Amino acid sequence: MLVIENCRLSWPDFTADYSLRVKEGTFCAVIGPSGGGKTTLLHMISGFETPQSGTLTFGGRDLLPLVPSERPVAIVFQDHNLFPHLSAAENVALGIRPSLRLSREERDQVSDILNAVDLKGFEGRRPGEMSGGQRQRVALARALVSGRPLVLLDEPFSSLDPQLRHTMMALVDTLRRRRNVTVIMSIHTPEDVRDTAEQMVLVAQGRVVLSGPPAAVLQDPVTRSVSSTLEP
Amino acid sequence: MRLKPPHPGSLVAFAILALVAGGFLALLRTGSAESNLLSIGPYLLRILAFSFIQAGISTILSLGLGIALALALARRRFPGREALLALLGTTMVMPTIVVVFAVLTVYGRSGWLAQVLAPFGLNEPVSIFGYPGILIAHVFLNAPFVARIALDALNMVPTEQWRLASALGFSPSQIFRHLDWPIFRTEIPGLASLVFLLCFKSFAIVLALGGGPGRATVEVAIYEALKVDLDFARAASLSLVQVAICLAVVLLLHGTLTRPPAAMTLRDAIPRPDRTDRRLKALDLVVLAIGLLFIGPLALSVLTGLGHMGAVADADLLQALATSLMIAAAAATLACCLALFLGAAARNRRVVLRSPRGAALFDFVLNILLAMPPFALTAGLYLIVRPLVDPSLAGLILLPLVNGLASLPFAYRSVAPRLMLAEERYGRLSSALGLKGLAKLRIVDWPLLQRPLGSAFALAMALSFGDFGIIALFGGAELRTLPYLLYERLGAYRFEEASAIGLIIVLVAFFLARLSGRLSYARD
Repeated sequence: MLVIENCRLSWPDFTADYSLRVKEGTFCAVIGPSGGGKTTLLHMISGFETPQSGTLTFGGRDLLPLVPSERPVAIVFQDHNLFPHLSAAENVALGIRPSLRLSREERDQVSDILNAVDLKGFEGRRPGEMSGGQRQRVALARALVSGRPLVLLDEPFSSLDPQLRHTMMALVDTLRRRRNVTVIMSIHTPEDVRDTAEQMVLVAQGRVVLSGPPAAVLQDPVTRSVSSTLEP
Repeated sequence: MRLKPPHPGSLVAFAILALVAGGFLALLRTGSAESNLLSIGPYLLRILAFSFIQAGISTILSLGLGIALALALARRRFPGREALLALLGTTMVMPTIVVVFAVLTVYGRSGWLAQVLAPFGLNEPVSIFGYPGILIAHVFLNAPFVARIALDALNMVPTEQWRLASALGFSPSQIFRHLDWPIFRTEIPGLASLVFLLCFKSFAIVLALGGGPGRATVEVAIYEALKVDLDFARAASLSLVQVAICLAVVLLLHGTLTRPPAAMTLRDAIPRPDRTDRRLKALDLVVLAIGLLFIGPLALSVLTGLGHMGAVADADLLQALATSLMIAAAAATLACCLALFLGAAARNRRVVLRSPRGAALFDFVLNILLAMPPFALTAGLYLIVRPLVDPSLAGLILLPLVNGLASLPFAYRSVAPRLMLAEERYGRLSSALGLKGLAKLRIVDWPLLQRPLGSAFALAMALSFGDFGIIALFGGAELRTLPYLLYERLGAYRFEEASAIGLIIVLVAFFLARLSGRLSYARD
């Protein structure tokens, strides 16, 4: 279980105070208006932001003393996930060993995961030679191959067209189930995850306002009141 | 079929090429036939060897110090960092003749270093003339330039990639391999070509600090052929060699100095994960100390002029200041007008006629100007205008003309992309509304152009104001600019007056460069 209790972060112009529980193995979608604190929540879990107070645990382990590389967390951003001078396989391999000195077994792991995200044959391609969807699949593959049980996706598919977004959501869901990882994804288009997410969280003004099954959260009057800032 | 009249910008490009070619032909026609390339072979080889060696070593040292400084500044935040960045910015606009003064003040026979070493019995340090002085001056001018460009480039790395490096647990060497090195790999060839070109064409520094006829760049040799020996044919032959070498370097520069467009990214500055590494902390401390010890005294030496302002405030100074400002303003006006014409023509070729190759021809014109030795061009043009105007007036005409042409490539790079942007945004709308000519310039282009044009004007003025190039040919009692006055005072060992004049030149150049920078970074 990921447990966030009263984690408070403050800047001169913004204050956030999060409390949230997410069961292990769950697909949790984080929705909310722009600037409401979705990305800050993910950055806090991954260690890029440190709360001034509160507790943050995963599987009973305190995450707050750990630097990002020590946390059981992998993250995929909206863009710039790949290093442009490295091939797709090398970008994925960074998730196993940043030195890129892989054993035969580890190389097989890279091939397997690229296969799983439908990128067989793309191993040698550089990011500049791939489409936006393919690049995000490489990033997803790296997050999964790292073996970290908590995968954070920060609006990873928002620049893709609706059809491709739908395909990618289905891929994330399939891989999540197969590898038994917890996925927390911030998203601007809640309807995309209505059928795949098991938990939905509404974040606004730096707080978790609602948390529950997607249908319930989407129907809630509070969600409807901020719906003008969300895409249909 | 009715032929369309050429674009006015195409006529301007043709006129520039005709001017350059005419200058060359005039030189060749006036000279004797004895000074061809074969006859000056051994001499040419000697100065070419010197030019290549000093430019090569200057480039390596400038890149080494500049890149090390950029990495240290990228990794560290410390009190005084902004002041150090400002210091680097100051040296970038310091005119070469002021740098000569700075080197003599710090490293000269009775300079600061000699005074520090004297109590230890080291009364005769290594002579500053020759390689030591030239290399110090070139590295002082170019290492800060490299550092600023490399630091800007490092700041372009998307924040997401720093976060990834952090999340993936990159070691300092992996950070260098995956984040720093890919940036340097794209920047270094262009920077190296540019620094090499600047050092290869170096004039004032080599003339003043070379220490003898054996240590001349091709540029100095052309000057000596024209001013000392009046050998126009030798000047023309040397110019051809210079153009060939510089064009080769410029073409390399053209191919490599294309930075990929800045990508949309999170722009919050986040600390680099390698900042906590102890060995890098020690290394950065050493690099920053070396940079400060090397650059600081040279940059601050011009401040010695503060105490001697009263000694130079005479009619000569005021006249030289007025002449410099007038020439710089005229040169900047010319550069901006020509840039507008060429930019509009290039835009017309690229967007309206859909001919990117045709548009690239305008880059070629600018490359020719970058490669052209200003002395040869000036001398050739002087020979053309001599029958038409009084010789004393020729300098006043040619100085703004040649300085304007020298600044044109920089002005063009500010103006042309904005013209292209205006066309991409509003070109179709303009066509639909029937906007053309001056009306289009006023309504469509001007709002996007005014700041870059102002920036280009200030930069061109700064470059021209501090230039000690062709004024060396025309300078004298009748025509003095501030850099020429400084050169005269240095030649007469009147260092206190020279320091005050140097300070004035730096202050004006710095103000203009700051203005240019502010305008270029400002929003539309």
